[in-house]
Amino acid sequence: MSPNYILKRIALIFYTLLVVSLIVFAITQILPADAAVMMLGENATDQALDALRQRMGLNDPVWMQYAHWLIGIVQGNFGTSLRTGQPVGPVMFEALGRSLLLALLSITFMLILAIPLGIIAAIRRGRVADMLVSLISYVGVSLPEFVTATVAVLLFADWLKWLPPTGYVPLTENFGSAIAHLTLPVFVISIILIAHVSRMVRSELIDVLHADYIRSARLKGLSGSSVLMGHALRNALLPTITIVALDVGYLLGGVIVVEEIFAIPGIGRQLIVAIQARDLPAIQAGVLIMAATYSIVNFLADMLYAALDKRIQYD
Amino acid sequence: MTETTKTPVLQIDNYSLDYRTATGAFHALRNVSLDITPGEILGLVGESGSGKTSLAWSIMRYLPGNAREVGGAIRLGGEDLAKKSAAEIGAIRGKRISMVFQDPSTSLNPTLSVGRQLSEVLMRHRGLTRKQAWAEGEEMLARVGLKTPAQMMARMPHEASGGEKQRVVIATAFACNPECIIFDEPTTALDVITSRQILNLFVELQAETGVASLYISHDLALVSRTAKRVAVIRRGEVVEQGEVSAIFHDPQNDYTRQLIAAVPNPAIRLVESRPDATAAPLVKVENVSVHYGRKPFFAALTGRAHERVVGNRAVSLSVQPGEILGIVGESGSGKSTLAKAMTGLNPFEGKIWFDGKSISGVSDMDTGYRKDVQIIFQHPDASLNPRHRIGEILSRPLKLYGGEGSGSQAQKIGDLLEQVSLPRSHADRYPHQLSGGEKQRVAIARAFASKPKLVICDEITSALDVSVQASIVRLLLELQRVHDTAYLFITHDLNLVRQIAHRIAVMYHGELVEIARAEDISSPDRADYTRRLIEAVPIPAGTTAAAN
Amino acid sequence: MTEFLKRLLRTPQGAIGVAIVGLVLLVVIIGPWVAPHDPESLAPLQRYKGSSLTYLLGTDQYGRDIFSRLLIGARATVIMAMLATLAGTVVGALIGTTSAFLGGRADEAIMRTIDAVMSIPSLLFALLVVNLLGSSIVNALVAVAVAFAPGMARITRSVALSVRKQDYINAAIARGESARFVIVREMLPNVIAPIIVEMTIRVSFAVMLFATLSFLGLGAQPPAAEWGLMVSEARRYMHLSAGILIWPSIAIALVAIGFNLLGDGLRDALNPRA
Repeated sequence: MSPNYILKRIALIFYTLLVVSLIVFAITQILPADAAVMMLGENATDQALDALRQRMGLNDPVWMQYAHWLIGIVQGNFGTSLRTGQPVGPVMFEALGRSLLLALLSITFMLILAIPLGIIAAIRRGRVADMLVSLISYVGVSLPEFVTATVAVLLFADWLKWLPPTGYVPLTENFGSAIAHLTLPVFVISIILIAHVSRMVRSELIDVLHADYIRSARLKGLSGSSVLMGHALRNALLPTITIVALDVGYLLGGVIVVEEIFAIPGIGRQLIVAIQARDLPAIQAGVLIMAATYSIVNFLADMLYAALDKRIQYD
Repeated sequence: MTETTKTPVLQIDNYSLDYRTATGAFHALRNVSLDITPGEILGLVGESGSGKTSLAWSIMRYLPGNAREVGGAIRLGGEDLAKKSAAEIGAIRGKRISMVFQDPSTSLNPTLSVGRQLSEVLMRHRGLTRKQAWAEGEEMLARVGLKTPAQMMARMPHEASGGEKQRVVIATAFACNPECIIFDEPTTALDVITSRQILNLFVELQAETGVASLYISHDLALVSRTAKRVAVIRRGEVVEQGEVSAIFHDPQNDYTRQLIAAVPNPAIRLVESRPDATAAPLVKVENVSVHYGRKPFFAALTGRAHERVVGNRAVSLSVQPGEILGIVGESGSGKSTLAKAMTGLNPFEGKIWFDGKSISGVSDMDTGYRKDVQIIFQHPDASLNPRHRIGEILSRPLKLYGGEGSGSQAQKIGDLLEQVSLPRSHADRYPHQLSGGEKQRVAIARAFASKPKLVICDEITSALDVSVQASIVRLLLELQRVHDTAYLFITHDLNLVRQIAHRIAVMYHGELVEIARAEDISSPDRADYTRRLIEAVPIPAGTTAAAN
Repeated sequence: MTEFLKRLLRTPQGAIGVAIVGLVLLVVIIGPWVAPHDPESLAPLQRYKGSSLTYLLGTDQYGRDIFSRLLIGARATVIMAMLATLAGTVVGALIGTTSAFLGGRADEAIMRTIDAVMSIPSLLFALLVVNLLGSSIVNALVAVAVAFAPGMARITRSVALSVRKQDYINAAIARGESARFVIVREMLPNVIAPIIVEMTIRVSFAVMLFATLSFLGLGAQPPAAEWGLMVSEARRYMHLSAGILIWPSIAIALVAIGFNLLGDGLRDALNPRA
């Protein structure tokens, strides 16, 4: 991994954010929402509205507004919410923290289940265990989060009364209650990912187990389990890093739905509120932060992969 | 000392193996009987699908789930391997019997160091600690002729060359002083000169250790030079076995005779014609260079120097009308790059003169040029569109260049098929319904549909079995005789090219080393590289080097 | 064609996929005619009924027949999902092929931009587009299509590039075939198969995405019988009758599973060498 490659990957993140910022800015420009009207209300006088527009730079050419916005972001200022009048940045980052906790727990839970499932399916290929895993994964990828979430709430909260239906408790406030509140959301977000990742692990491992070097290891007299542990697993699991990183995009989408259903004040819920209220600065900030999260996760995954897989030589 | 005085190490006794398939049992091996005594090399020669590799898997007890052993026994030191438990087999593999594989780049785990992969067999079978095994591994690598064994141990497989990797694999196979080693085409994936070095290493180690060796290969010439006894296998049956000299001089079986005849022998020229050396050349290639890749964006930005990959460096040569010009070289020597440049598949610098017309780029290659210059590729699987029927494939050149003569399109397609000895009914088939040799015949028919003046053959026989290769070569020479077509025959098979080419161009690292008449290629006046190449190529036993 | 069908039905995925998707398409076509009840007629006395001969899957919070609503809602959900996927695929395929065809720096610029667009989660992207255009089922269609286009562009490009490297394409170029012939007759038949596979699998994502948009109140609007909307509306009443929640959920999952299986079955059947 050359410094040149790392530099290039970092430049790509900035390019990504530039493109995303253009897209959100364009979308929010076309949105039929007048910021000045939203802040002052329908009954404001024309003079007052004009004055505010002047002050907010809404009368400037579009490219200038974009430039101002971008410069603001570079300086850490994401703008002021039209809905609450508060700065958007701190609110969004605080919400992001809660979402990341949810995402991290989901990924951990997913990996704990998906990797063994995939390995079992690959080793027992064509047998009952494989078919079962296959069935689970077909059903899993076919259930949208809102369905699993609603059914899970019905089952575990309404009927069994094991877990609270909705709400969020910070970890620092009451650890037990926080975990209880996070259990269902984590479970719901993980289902599709488990289905997808276990399938990928299975097919990667099957490919690796058919590789010539696995055959040579077997013919050196190594036992099945030491070939699996020493030779096959590492190579089969490496690509999982990339797959999981790419799935983070899907996960962030799922987070939006799950936060909405379980009333978790994360960035997804903030975004839905912002979209419904047409709170332009909040939408812009939220989308940009989500895209940045995705890009950074994928960058880190690429770095990790390159560090672990000595074969890859980037230039 | 003859083999009858020694007890065999490996004894295959009337062994039969079936594979269960959807269409019934497939007999992979039928009543195979072979013995290998200590210190002996038994060559097992067969074409693809002959069952030679199945036999290797049977010996190693590494059979797929649908395999059924229907009779006979395989004994190692008198013990029946089929009666061993999985754990016992695990203790035998790598210790008492080991194996060297065809392709060293796939038989080593790409993410584990060379040392780890070599030392694990020592730890497994000789109970050494990691440290002892590592030290012992270094010695092994020194023994197989690796110059810097300590560094090599720490390297990852991708950091070693193909020859180095195969030496590591050989060191692993010899690591526990096994009684028997199976070599499954150990040089096929390597370049000519490297494979000669590996072969020499094998002979040396074999003599030193006296291990019983089963040497599996499709290459009769090569086996005849290394093994003392040869068994010829065809469709699961050993049709003939005996001393090399006996088999070569007095083959009893028809198939063996056919196989021996099919092996390219540089002493036997297959072409009698002589191109008119005084005529104006059909093609003149002048200082043609090809570069691959572009400057990476960031290198351009940071002003860093970036070396573009060179495919060809100022290559100049010419072909007379009706001449067969052979081009030989190792992989990566730039021989295919030249073919691609001449057919407009690679941009190039320099100039090509064809039939008096100058061509300096793709835009100069008009329909007339396309019609006159045809190319045939190495893998017929890849060069025939899998979704087109043979008839459709052959109709394209007729449409593009206007087929000559009267008759319907179907008539002409049938004629084209007949010209390459395929039944007319093949027009309705898809490529995947044909055998490899048949597919290559279709590709040849497509190239000859336009009655070209020059046909570029890019390694067209190297994916085929020896006997199929021989029939394809016969077909090409027949077509050449009838149409007086010139060939640019690109190959890595020196023996073959010496049989059929008028002149041979030798390429190395993108550069043209020299061009010589085929008769003079083995002369001591040749360039250093050419001489090394010629020396590296095994010539079939019982024949002398080219009559010269 | 019959040979192709035979190959498709030979794998369990293909057979089950064909059965489910066939059933779904049948419902889409004849659903409204065979629905036993008017899906929108309110019957205050018949609320929260369980399964019975009159109401096969029971009734919902307004006493509407769930079975009839599912039969009619199939059109809204499945047809929209298929149209959206098709639109997304066509746009994506155009971008992907162009990118592969241009090659070099243009290709790199296009693909980097596509990557950038893909850093916005598809659901969020769809939400933004719907919000921009206004909540309606047609706008949701556009949103899903827009959200799918970058992914399809990426896949098309990689398939096109791998086909482009094949020697039969080299042979066609060396033969002097026109660019049109190379693309249409040599490349397209080989590129289209993997795209059809990917498209089929994506229909299941589209069904889910649509339902999610409706669930969030940004797709179909009440009293439409869209399945995602049915789940959303059922949430408030689910403790009174689980059926109103479960049946549309199963319908969504079944369609998604069907297209997933069909896609995997097609992958095997469309491989000419298998």
